[in-house]
Amino acid sequence: MEDFKKAILEHAEGSKKTKFYFKDLEKAVKKTYPDAKSRMIKKAATELVNEGTLIYYSTGSSTMYGLKGRGITEDH
Amino acid sequence: MAFEPKNEQKELKYEELRIYTDEELNNYTEEELKNFKFKHDVPDLDDLEKGPWPSFVSDAKQEALHRHKLADDRLMTAKDSVDDLMGALQLSFDDGETHWKHGGIVGVFGYGGGVIGRYSDVPEKFPGVTHFHTMRVNQTSSKFYDTDFLRSLADLWEYRGSGILNMHGSTGDIVFLGTTTDQLEPIFYDLTHELGVDLGGSGSNLRTPSCCVGKARCEYACIDTQDLCYEMTQFYQDELHRPMFPYKFKFKFDGCPNGCVASIARSDMSFIGTWRDDIRIDQEAVKAYIAGESAPNAGAHGGRDWGKFDIQKEVIDLCPTNCMCYEDGELKIDNSECTRCMHCINVMPKALRPGKDTGVTILCGAKAPILEGAQMATMIVPFMKAEAPYDNIKELIEKVWDWWMEEGKNRERLGELIQRFSLPRFLDIMELPPAPQMVKEPRSNPYIFWKEEDVKGGWNRDINDYRSRHKR
Ligand code: SF4
Ligand code: SF4
Repeated sequence: MEDFKKAILEHAEGSKKTKFYFKDLEKAVKKTYPDAKSRMIKKAATELVNEGTLIYYSTGSSTMYGLKGRGITEDH
Repeated sequence: MAFEPKNEQKELKYEELRIYTDEELNNYTEEELKNFKFKHDVPDLDDLEKGPWPSFVSDAKQEALHRHKLADDRLMTAKDSVDDLMGALQLSFDDGETHWKHGGIVGVFGYGGGVIGRYSDVPEKFPGVTHFHTMRVNQTSSKFYDTDFLRSLADLWEYRGSGILNMHGSTGDIVFLGTTTDQLEPIFYDLTHELGVDLGGSGSNLRTPSCCVGKARCEYACIDTQDLCYEMTQFYQDELHRPMFPYKFKFKFDGCPNGCVASIARSDMSFIGTWRDDIRIDQEAVKAYIAGESAPNAGAHGGRDWGKFDIQKEVIDLCPTNCMCYEDGELKIDNSECTRCMHCINVMPKALRPGKDTGVTILCGAKAPILEGAQMATMIVPFMKAEAPYDNIKELIEKVWDWWMEEGKNRERLGELIQRFSLPRFLDIMELPPAPQMVKEPRSNPYIFWKEEDVKGGWNRDINDYRSRHKR
């Protein structure tokens, strides 16, 4: 789980983008851990949200993840 | 029969939860309402009130006046948010474009759905709707509430939101329209801790499941839609609140093919109650319809004289599969040909009832027209038993999700993915055999092909042996 969280953060911090689909995070984790299960990757992302490192960004129809304090703010 | 809840129910006492007094709730006169004008000029909205139907503008006027007359410290959000909302709508009419910015990071802690950020792009003109976030509240199964609950909900939303709500949004939730970021957590706390309801789904989540009134009020119900809907809502809480899907995903549960929640058109996975034995016939009751003693359609079209009931014309000739006849004073149905369309049962509910061996038909892939046009669901499983704890249904759901999460592109609905892969491949992946019920009619959707391993001898043949029997 910690490994997945690290992979997610490395991807998010190293990217020029500020918002990520779950698929982007999934791909990033699977690059290092090809056998990773989607549900576990989601659990890792949820933990990062609960810790306050990642935030959800929602348009209402779809949801993305962002790094807290980078790029997107409350008033976007 | 008195209502006996399966789980212990928290009793809500409006007297203890109420925020406003009776005087505050009835704080204007009819005369004041008649003379009321919004803060902004809204000629196009005034026009909407002139039509034959009740208009939301009239409701908004009542709410705006009500808020004006409450004391300043009795509202946690802008007093004139309704005025500003109507002003913003008029401006959108004038400009022919929206003045809302959608989306953002607002939400309640730990939830990835249920709150949709909304901001005005002309806040200086309409300060009361600078932030105007939507909250979705998970409706109860079949939308049964008691008045204490509704009053408490209305008080809460008046106090901490705009007071405007929508019973219900098209997915099924109660939609709270418009509040500010600082009010989200207090509202969420009161909803969950006091009122015992949760936020619904939004974004790339499982959306709030919804169902018809089912066995609570409808004798046609072949499955307990409320139980199934509640179980799926509870069992898939994580999917409802923590986004991981490529896009939205909806479940809906209809108790019979009449489809009162229109699951076939409005959910990625549609569950429709059905039966696999025979329609139950009470021949005496059939005769009573023919003799004019029972009103057809339970009197639903009784507002006009349609003449004497004619079973041939009104039932038998309208059966889509021509599988009924009336002979020697008896109604006969060839049940192997019946498509469970419900027509005959709807016309003669006292005489005909669905069978007793009931379950669900499962369909996949309906969606609204954002990409590729609107699509109805396709039948995937003709019949499956539906009994608690519904492990067989959950197994199929998770198989569908696993595949969609693996192969679906961002923002691709299940129905679009099935189209991209083709139905035969979808069936293969789901390990479901093609079934005759999937074919609309012979030659109209021929998507079922033989596979080499299913054909004796495979694709190779001995041409000489063939020629010995067939001349060139
Ligand atoms: S879908 Fe069928 S069972 Fe459900 S309320 Fe409608 S008629 Fe009744
Ligand atoms: S349910 Fe529909 S198809 Fe079946 S017998 Fe009645 S009318 Fe015919």
